Amino acid sequence: MSKVIAVISGKGGVGKTTTTANLGLGIAMQMKQCVVVDFDIGQRNLDMILGLENRVVYDMVQVMDGEATLEQALIRSKANRNLYFLPASQTKDKSVLDSEKISNLLQELRKKFEYVILDAPAGIESGFEHTIEFADAAIIVVNPEVSSIRDSDRAIGILDSKSQKAKDGHEVEKMLIINRIDPEMVERGEMLEADDILEILGIELLGVVPEDRGVIDASNQGQPIILNEKSDAGKAYKRIAKRICGIKVAVEHPKVRKKGLVGKLKGIFS
Amino acid sequence: MFPWFKKKKSARIAKDRLQIAIMSDRASSDFPFMEELKRDIIEVIKKYKGVSNIEIKKASDKDTEAISIEVELE
Repeated sequence: MSKVIAVISGKGGVGKTTTTANLGLGIAMQMKQCVVVDFDIGQRNLDMILGLENRVVYDMVQVMDGEATLEQALIRSKANRNLYFLPASQTKDKSVLDSEKISNLLQELRKKFEYVILDAPAGIESGFEHTIEFADAAIIVVNPEVSSIRDSDRAIGILDSKSQKAKDGHEVEKMLIINRIDPEMVERGEMLEADDILEILGIELLGVVPEDRGVIDASNQGQPIILNEKSDAGKAYKRIAKRICGIKVAVEHPKVRKKGLVGKLKGIFS
Repeated sequence: MFPWFKKKKSARIAKDRLQIAIMSDRASSDFPFMEELKRDIIEVIKKYKGVSNIEIKKASDKDTEAISIEVELE
């Protein structure tokens, strides 16, 4: 049985592509055959985050149009041999997407992979609708910040009305990832905490990823942060990937780091 | 540093504002079946009398969802 999961957010810039890349690798680390597909036609980015941009020859639109085979277009990750990547087209625009072609492509991918992860474009336009159309489940990525949370609720509304599963009368599985949470700000009451966000959106929590400066450094190098054993965000992604694979791992909420005396003094005077 | 001078915590304000904004977003978004429903109602009423205009509105609050249908006859 394979599972198609769309990674969505509503608002852009919340870490959707970073999440897709890390979870793809995390699932592959669990010895599962996994493919990540960039659905952001015209704004290809997943290739950069994965460090595979120099290996792109064919893209998914060419596969859908029969100009290339799936085998020709799939790129195998160097970091983990269980992970494959299917790039978006950089030259065409999202109007080239067509329901029947997407359905066929996903059927092909389902035959080869246990997990098919789709990186949705930001917004709630046609490109987004096509990404969620044939998904079994959706991962919603939010930042603990008002515009991201509100926009995600709109995206969830569209997921619940326009996906094929919803039209057939079934519920699309929805899982929330709260990305870039800063435990110190939460402690000071300056940032929404996970429970508040869950209450507002009314969906299940898949995991919480702490703010981590290492994420930029990781994407600079095309080495997703999950490959860094010491990183807090990397560890969080690893736990989330295990949960996706059905392994029971408790949700860990980021904690404020205990400071030494100097840190405490800095805190008082900041 | 001086908690007795602190205003209401901004996370609390964010939560309150979001709950209201999202509730209103959800209430004003149409059901996905609105257009089909409109067509079906016109079909049914047309058996008896012509229809010149039809308006369907969604109304919802926390616990209930409702639609109001207004049909203008020819």
